[in-house]
Amino acid sequence: MAKIRNNGKLTDGQVGFLLVVPGIAVFIAVILYPFISAILMSFTDRTLLSPSSNGVGFANYRKIFSDPYFLKTVWTTIVFVIFSTLIPFTLGLIWAIVLNQGFRGSEFLRGVTLVNWIIPGTAIGFLWSWIFNGQYGILNGLLISLGIIDSNISFLGQTSTALPCVIIARSWQMLPWYMAFLLGGLQSVPMDRIEAARIDGANNLQVFRYIVIPGMRQIFFLVLILGAIGNLQHFDIPWTMTQGGPARATTTLSLEVYRTAFQNWKLGQAATVGTIWAILLAAFSFVYLKQVKESE
Amino acid sequence: MFQKTLAFRIFFTVSAILIGCFVFLPLLWLINTALKPSDQTFSLYFFFGPLTLDNIISIITDRTIMTYLKNSLIVSFLSSFFATLVSAFAGYSFSKFRYKGRKLIMGAFMMSQAFPQAILLLSIYLMMQKLGLLGSYWSLLISYVVFTLPVGTWTLKGYFDALPDSLIESAKIDGAGNLKIMRKIIFPMAVPGMISIAIYGFVWSWNDLLYSMTLVTDPSRRTLAPGLVMTYLGEASTNWAAMMSASIVAAIPVTIIFVFLQRYFIAGLTSGAVKE
Repeated sequence: MAKIRNNGKLTDGQVGFLLVVPGIAVFIAVILYPFISAILMSFTDRTLLSPSSNGVGFANYRKIFSDPYFLKTVWTTIVFVIFSTLIPFTLGLIWAIVLNQGFRGSEFLRGVTLVNWIIPGTAIGFLWSWIFNGQYGILNGLLISLGIIDSNISFLGQTSTALPCVIIARSWQMLPWYMAFLLGGLQSVPMDRIEAARIDGANNLQVFRYIVIPGMRQIFFLVLILGAIGNLQHFDIPWTMTQGGPARATTTLSLEVYRTAFQNWKLGQAATVGTIWAILLAAFSFVYLKQVKESE
Repeated sequence: MFQKTLAFRIFFTVSAILIGCFVFLPLLWLINTALKPSDQTFSLYFFFGPLTLDNIISIITDRTIMTYLKNSLIVSFLSSFFATLVSAFAGYSFSKFRYKGRKLIMGAFMMSQAFPQAILLLSIYLMMQKLGLLGSYWSLLISYVVFTLPVGTWTLKGYFDALPDSLIESAKIDGAGNLKIMRKIIFPMAVPGMISIAIYGFVWSWNDLLYSMTLVTDPSRRTLAPGLVMTYLGEASTNWAAMMSASIVAAIPVTIIFVFLQRYFIAGLTSGAVKE
């Protein structure tokens, strides 16, 4: 920075560029270089055990695509992303509509709702593991005392219920995030248009269908895309609740990359999974960027 | 927005009760479990029954967990500070300067959150190993800055865009250098935005599990999230009361920040994607 002060002859453009140098430096160190080197690594047999490695061409890719577990992981990821995005989006929208009514205490409720979103994912994973616990969990306790089930269900221990449980926990965490965005969106819907429609005799559903939804289309789109990207990346809750089990039922791509690399030490193979996953993510990101550009 | 017809009232009441229960009851159950005496953990009473602070006290007097907490505080404060500073420089640069490559750099920053974090971690791990940084906070500090960068740069650029160029021009005519203009004019105007970004960065690093679990191998430098996972997940018989108490302790710092700075918090949360 001293250079800028001492040398008044730097052009504005040079000053501007210098200001973003720290940002570029961390970007290269933590994003660009690791990304490129991971893609290169996916063509090698690199492990965490030895620093040397050999090129193996597309062997990792062939291996992964012929691995039935890999397709299952992709499928689990897709299911996780779709439901963990749509459930909290829908509930968040309804919750935003409720809070937007401006009753006494609605401001307070909005604040308390957000607490769920800011507490660490680790804590949320612990909490929901406890709720779904197969022996002493409150959910089993409730269902039994209501007479809905006769004996305890091991929610996180069987493959059919583990993924839905993880999705519920993730939805609980993200509902406030959607609510905050959507409440902002609801408040920006032009009131005069609604009043005009009322004069023309429109009912609630028509107002919602023809004014509120079109008015919030852009924000719907943004939160859904950002939410889906976040879910594609998500790691904390499934890891804390199930470590990807039972029998890989909750293993998403991010858990798979972590496990392959840091538990099985197969960096090259992990990089391959990661590269395929990156292509999936890029599709979403591309749509997102395009939308942002259009709104400029 | 909606007329209070009978149908709307029913919709309102049903949704308020159902979603209200879903949103609030789990957290109350967490607090409830933490406050029960440990021999009552498995009984189903809801606050009406014996309550105690013993579980929470045994967490905050636990040396190991308090070390994790201290490490988390150090990492989160520092990374939040660096992230805000780097974002402010970059945001100012994008807002008020024009140079070759500006659009490209903006696009790159914007995208950085969309790179799959777990794959970046593979090479970051090797890089930090080579540099001998796995036992220090540095590996985390550097990584966390990048994850605040897109939201931070965008939000602060928005603040700087609102400042008239004439303000900078007239300061220049008065002989102020670039540094002085930034320190005395530009940055003070963006203080609310900077607070939002600092909070965002703090919460991000406080809550991170994946990076902190992998990049810090020295137990004395371990942060809270991986610390708790390693303390409790490996146990043969789970101590739920202790886990719930530890979760409360882990949630307290971010909750305090949130309660006192809620206004900035919501601004920081939504400004990243929504532009006025």
